[in-house]
Amino acid sequence: MSMPSFLDLNGYGHLLVEGAMMTIVVALIAMFIALCLGMAAALAKLSSRIWLRRLGGSYTVIIRGIPELVLMMVVYYGGTVLLQDLLAWAGDDSRVDINAFFAGSLVVGFVYGAYATEIFRTAFLAVPQGQIEAARGCGMVPQQIFFRIRLPQAWRFALPGLGNLWLTLLKATSITSIIGLTELARQADLVKSATQRPFITFLIACLLYLAMTAVSDLALRRFAAKAAAGFQRQDG
Amino acid sequence: MRNRIALCALAIAAIMGVAGSATAKTSLIIATEGAYPPYNFVAADGSLQGFDVDMAKELCKKIDADCTIVKQDWDGMIPGLLAKKYDVIVASMGILPEREKKVDFTIPYYQAPTALIAAKSADVKVGADGYPDGDSLAGKKIGVQRASGYETYARKTWPKADIVIYDTPSSANLDLTNGRLDARFDDYILLKDGILKSDTAGDFAVVGKIYTETAMGSKGEGIAVRKGEAALRESLNKAILAMRADGTYKTINDKYFDIDLYGK
Repeated sequence: MSMPSFLDLNGYGHLLVEGAMMTIVVALIAMFIALCLGMAAALAKLSSRIWLRRLGGSYTVIIRGIPELVLMMVVYYGGTVLLQDLLAWAGDDSRVDINAFFAGSLVVGFVYGAYATEIFRTAFLAVPQGQIEAARGCGMVPQQIFFRIRLPQAWRFALPGLGNLWLTLLKATSITSIIGLTELARQADLVKSATQRPFITFLIACLLYLAMTAVSDLALRRFAAKAAAGFQRQDG
Repeated sequence: MRNRIALCALAIAAIMGVAGSATAKTSLIIATEGAYPPYNFVAADGSLQGFDVDMAKELCKKIDADCTIVKQDWDGMIPGLLAKKYDVIVASMGILPEREKKVDFTIPYYQAPTALIAAKSADVKVGADGYPDGDSLAGKKIGVQRASGYETYARKTWPKADIVIYDTPSSANLDLTNGRLDARFDDYILLKDGILKSDTAGDFAVVGKIYTETAMGSKGEGIAVRKGEAALRESLNKAILAMRADGTYKTINDKYFDIDLYGK
């Protein structure tokens, strides 16, 4: 594929595209983790058991209070040294290497799960309580109430917030560049150094991010339409 | 109890993707910076290349080891070695006393020339000893790489100058060419290729003499290993001397430079 020379960046251009691919993959895995954690913690916060509420509460407070960058470095660098010291204490001198890809996706997912918790909590609360009571009256067990009544209707309320979360998360994957993961931000920095052409390099990187968010936006609108099927459209 | 914790830690490590199966050949992971052309850099196809990389590959052949070369940011280079992320550093690392306290070095595998390149408009004068004059550098912005020997030397020798630190030499070069810096203090060959061969080369010039390694207080550029790895260090020393003897050093040297960098 031949590209106009100014876009090709001395042959380094493909590194940016590969970086974008890595960004998408990390973001998807992190989003999945965030959604699972968010749902679980939201339910914990709405639970009747106090220890669950405390657990969910501390998760959101602590994780939302620490900068993601700092948490990333603690997990990746601190975690490696911790595991190695544990092994050394037990007599094993081998090296431990935490995979940057997994560490990065996990931390980003873990952090954004805390934000997703609040989104889900609001969404679950927005489902009319009368429906939950009616469901209980029909004899449904809690799992059935959750999956048949609460969750399908909660999506309508959760999606705007989750869409916002996804877009933020997609760009937040750039913090994994600090642990050496070859995603778009890091590749852009590398290409800038190698080609000594910072403006065009970062411009192309921005356009790639924009392309990702534009596609996400279209997909989110489809999901929102599906989730709100049967309900009167508010104002688009 | 100890074994259980070890087992758990190992399990976590295994899930996280630990590399390491026992093979007959020693397995080594070598770190290089990848941002220090022409010694080590990332080529357009994404691979690590350069004088250091070629040296590392040849040394591995000589010591009969299976080597993987990884990229590591400069300021995390020694911490990474100590954290056992890799076993050897071949990244044009100067043998400086502060570094020798933390790691062990092989014999030097080359001698690097250092220079101060300044914008002609900055009007930096040469002192009586032939090196840049500290007083004429007062208040001038000198760009250096963070955690490099050049940063330490510049801060010590020119306390009146404004030392600006950068993550990589290329970022600093960019700031010199666009006017944010008055001068750059780094490896002479790197600066020559980066500044004096660019379109705006006419605006910049070397100030004073080229510094030798001894003038910088360094023994040369060495290969770093962790303390206690005496066998590895010795085998690398022998490999360097073998490369000098059988001409493989010369082949690699001539690929990048016009002069013999080994010195002595």
